Amino acid sequence: MSHAFFRSIFRVLPLLLVLSPVNSSSCTMGNKTAEIRVKYENILSHDIDELVNMSAEYRDRCCKNKKHEHSKVFFCNDTQEIESLQSMACNMLKFFNKQKISKEFRWKAALVSCGTLQVLQCKCERHKKEKVCTQVNTHNNEDRETGEQSKKKCNHEFCELKENISSLRSCWNKFEKIISR
Amino acid sequence: MAVPAAFLAPILLLCGLGLRLAAAHGPTGVECVLFNEEYMTCVWGSRETLTTNYSLYYWYENRSPVVECKRYLWDRGVSIGCHFNQSEIVQFQPFHVLLNASLNGQALEIRSKRMELQDLVKPGAPVNLTIRNMSSNQLQLTWSSPYPKAQCLEHAVKYKSNKDTSWIEHGVKGDIFSFPSVDYEKYYTFYVRSKINSYCGSTQLWSEWSVPVVWGRNTTSKGLAEEQLQWFWIHTVLVPIASCLLLLVLVVLLVRMERVWVILMPRIPNPSKNFDELFITHNGNFQEWAGVPKDMLESFKPNYSESICYVSELPSREIHDPQWDGSNRLPGGPGAPAPPRA
Repeated sequence: MSHAFFRSIFRVLPLLLVLSPVNSSSCTMGNKTAEIRVKYENILSHDIDELVNMSAEYRDRCCKNKKHEHSKVFFCNDTQEIESLQSMACNMLKFFNKQKISKEFRWKAALVSCGTLQVLQCKCERHKKEKVCTQVNTHNNEDRETGEQSKKKCNHEFCELKENISSLRSCWNKFEKIISR
Repeated sequence: MAVPAAFLAPILLLCGLGLRLAAAHGPTGVECVLFNEEYMTCVWGSRETLTTNYSLYYWYENRSPVVECKRYLWDRGVSIGCHFNQSEIVQFQPFHVLLNASLNGQALEIRSKRMELQDLVKPGAPVNLTIRNMSSNQLQLTWSSPYPKAQCLEHAVKYKSNKDTSWIEHGVKGDIFSFPSVDYEKYYTFYVRSKINSYCGSTQLWSEWSVPVVWGRNTTSKGLAEEQLQWFWIHTVLVPIASCLLLLVLVVLLVRMERVWVILMPRIPNPSKNFDELFITHNGNFQEWAGVPKDMLESFKPNYSESICYVSELPSREIHDPQWDGSNRLPGGPGAPAPPRA
């Protein structure tokens, strides 16, 4: 009897794996390109510009030597721009708690990530990352470091975040170009 | 003394070589531009700055192997750049370039930094600039762009009137520019250029300025220029000549018509000459000189004659003669009664 029970379980589990869609996107705004475009142009693009400008102010001399070492590279794949943006945004959230990076910079990066996920109506695989967005959206301007403290030493995590930001912006540019007439 | 000279020679040779290499101005980098997303050129120098031919190799991250340039750009026998067709261009993929050359047996290699080609797009200049008159002294300028994605463009409009000394520039998001209040006495010149906006890329490359469009008086189109020339001849040549001729005719007529001339320019009488005639011609006869008619002269002459009656006082006598009682009078006097006849 127990053998039959376990056999039935073992049949169902592989069946579930087969039936579940491969690489399923958890983004629900995929077809609403007009709405995405409005939100991106009117709100998100300005935050991205500010983040890029902020990124350019920090010392990045160490980033040129340590490029592509132990860092995940994200590409904006053709016909999979939304999925690529989702991956980039979710990955950027991991920098929120990195103490070696300026708090102001981390918050802004998290804001852009959460904005991207919100516009595309995406979720991240690790659900606890959404807690970051809740924290960022509710405590927008509190407990930020002043400008003097933001001049931290160049480090690998900062370089990786900077690379991530650049990729995210390029992918948004690509997506905007595709959906524009 | 020979030993220091032996050391000096190689040092001087090396210095000369270094200076020569420095003066050769090898490529400092590769500059790539995508022209309207139709083709791309990557240039690394000019004939003046390059001493050898470089070969260009390129690749995209995450795809394609390293490929050599298929169409080099030449300047008087020296390769200065590479031309890429549209099929060879991939945007939103990091692009790398490597320059390779050999000089004096030495291999020279120059790697470019990673490029994002979507940030190197230079759109074509706007075309078909059109001006329309709107209500309440407003002008509307429209244009079109050869770039396929109009929503990825931002524009700049530059304009000036014939009375202005400097250009005024405005940023425009769409492809319409409204000029709020226009002066109809001036003529305006408009230029437009385009750039990829921040939504679709991150570039500082503006297109070339468009062909200008003008509006207002004193426009430079061919037909209006001819009309301007005609008006010029009329105003500055014909009108003055006609006015002068008219004036001349009037003067001639005026001189010829003595009645009019006398009214306009009356003679000032000279009495001296008139009196000559009185005394010389008419011998002082005023009536004759004045032209008094003869019958009037005759009428003034008396047509009767009168004898003069002399009246004298008699000497004083005895006044006793009664016959002579004061009533005697000499005969002949008028009114005097005749003496009584005895």
